[in-house]
Amino acid sequence: MFFVRIMFMALRSLTIHPLRSVLATLGVLIGVGAVVAAMAILEGMSSRMREGFASMGSNKLFVMPPQQRRGGRVVGNFDTLKIDDAWAIAKECPSLKNVMPQVALNGTVKFLSKNTTASVLGATDAYTEINSHRIVEGSFFEKADIQGQSNVAVLGAKVKKDLFGGRPAIGEKVKVMTPLGGRQFTVVGVMEEKGNVAFTNVDEQVIIPITTAMEKVYGLKSIAAIVAEAVSGADKDIEKAKEEIKKVLRQRHKIRAGQQDDFAVQSQKEFVEQFATFTNIVGVVLFSIAGISLVVGGIGIMNIMLVSVTERTREIGVRMAMGAQRADVLKQFLVEASIISFFGGSIGVAMGYGLATTIERMTRVFETITTTGSVIMALSMATCVGIVSGLYPAWKASRLDPVEALRYE
Amino acid sequence: MADLIRINQFTKHYVMGETIVRALDGVNITIKEGEFISITGASGSGKSTLMHLLGCLDRPSAGEYWLDGDLVSHMSDKQLAIVRNKKIGFVFQTFNLIQRTTAVDNVSVPLFYARQARVKEPSLRALERVGLGHRAYHTPSEMSGGERQRVAIARAIVAEPKIILADEPTGNLDSRTGEQIMQIFHELNRAGVTVIIVTHEMAVAVQAQRVIAMRDGRIIEDGGIDDAFRARMLGQERTAASLPERSPPMARPLQV
Repeated sequence: MFFVRIMFMALRSLTIHPLRSVLATLGVLIGVGAVVAAMAILEGMSSRMREGFASMGSNKLFVMPPQQRRGGRVVGNFDTLKIDDAWAIAKECPSLKNVMPQVALNGTVKFLSKNTTASVLGATDAYTEINSHRIVEGSFFEKADIQGQSNVAVLGAKVKKDLFGGRPAIGEKVKVMTPLGGRQFTVVGVMEEKGNVAFTNVDEQVIIPITTAMEKVYGLKSIAAIVAEAVSGADKDIEKAKEEIKKVLRQRHKIRAGQQDDFAVQSQKEFVEQFATFTNIVGVVLFSIAGISLVVGGIGIMNIMLVSVTERTREIGVRMAMGAQRADVLKQFLVEASIISFFGGSIGVAMGYGLATTIERMTRVFETITTTGSVIMALSMATCVGIVSGLYPAWKASRLDPVEALRYE
Repeated sequence: MADLIRINQFTKHYVMGETIVRALDGVNITIKEGEFISITGASGSGKSTLMHLLGCLDRPSAGEYWLDGDLVSHMSDKQLAIVRNKKIGFVFQTFNLIQRTTAVDNVSVPLFYARQARVKEPSLRALERVGLGHRAYHTPSEMSGGERQRVAIARAIVAEPKIILADEPTGNLDSRTGEQIMQIFHELNRAGVTVIIVTHEMAVAVQAQRVIAMRDGRIIEDGGIDDAFRARMLGQERTAASLPERSPPMARPLQV
């Protein structure tokens, strides 16, 4: 009861100097806002990634050429991976059930006067099984189309809708344009609507035989990646499949014992782990920045509280004369500091949420997620900052000598 | 009546650099319940120090202080705070009200620190006792000096203390308002409250039943007031006034 009244009294003291109270809380406000926004972004990013990895399936393996760097920056991939590597892996690795080489480029697809942007994926007939992506109209292209470099295409749901609307697309001719060239394709199938699979919106894809893509459209000699599925998602089977792939590729690329691989094999699990490390690093960086601003905010509160204690020395003296115990004075100023930072924290939460939402709207890369946990954490951090930074001023106030305080001008 | 205050060989020394200032030097006072006392003396005479010690705001360097049967001179800070809260009501020269806070909230401060649950009614009653019931929800800045001092008196009496300790209560007021304030002290005294007024103004001091006059940390006069005494004290002040001694800017002219 007494404490509740101390809180009311503190509130009244703070409203006497509204501007000062607001200024005192500005640091905490910004700090908390930064924490909340950072957490919302991080959480949104993680959740998007988790979904992406989950949609991959746990038995996936990815074979990629090493990244080419210039001055530390990734400028592209080496062209060490050939399509024949994929065929060899498919033939010689018993622990794999599906193997698919792929190349992808962004381009546009045209039908009559309509056109839409799409990711042009060169793949094989293993696509539907590997991505658990069903065909809803027509059929997927077959092995013969790959061998014969046929000009056939399967459209993603959105591409089909953009170009054809409700009308049938099978048998129609579309023009696929990419930065490396373009060609006419006959539509043989339309995929079901699925959204994101492994960070790609498969509805915005046009899938063509990989041989056609490499030879006729892009003129490429190497492939971007090989996607493979182990017979099961068990760690043992994944490891085994990895070893088999490495063995085949080292042999084919004539890499001697002791030399480094000119390719990388990674499982879905390793991607998840790498990503977890990455989010942890980002988290630490974001929280360090937020932490610094909270410390700055704490210093701001301490500063204002010290001014306030000095300015109210005589009031403190009067209160002591009226029977305020040292602990009462201490409580009063501590509560004032906590209220300042709690209010700053509350506004900070609102602003952080607003900031995260604005970033989401502006970038449209991913959703931001403000969790109750992050709000509670930010508010308790703010209150802690208030208590810690209020401690010294409050202690100073409580140690005043009543006689001196009453005499203070 | 019983002794409310008994002070035995009160001494207060301050160390200022190399010298020791003897603010109080072996003071003995006994005050009975219901007395109306003024403590007077020039500045530097030790009357303020005495008031601080009587008010339990400070502890003596040596000596004993019995207040209402308790030895308060050896109490802890916390115990002293409780004694101030329960037994002493302070009235200051500069009123010392909390700014931008209504009269009734100002008056309730001692009850607040007494952890009393109901503060509003007793505070309003105290304000009515000093004739300010109608100004309860005004802030100090909306009040005249006399009204402010009456709020301060209401605050001093709200916890029903045995002693009112007033430090130059009329020092910042014009003479007519000052007299009204003194009137309130007289009424409180008639109701049984012990009133101790610290003042350097003889015209105020002689309104008490008993005057304690101080100089250089010692009591030079302590006695009941009769006409002869009154005349003598006022005479002293006249001589004192002719000396180039500092007197507060708002001290009112003598009225004999």
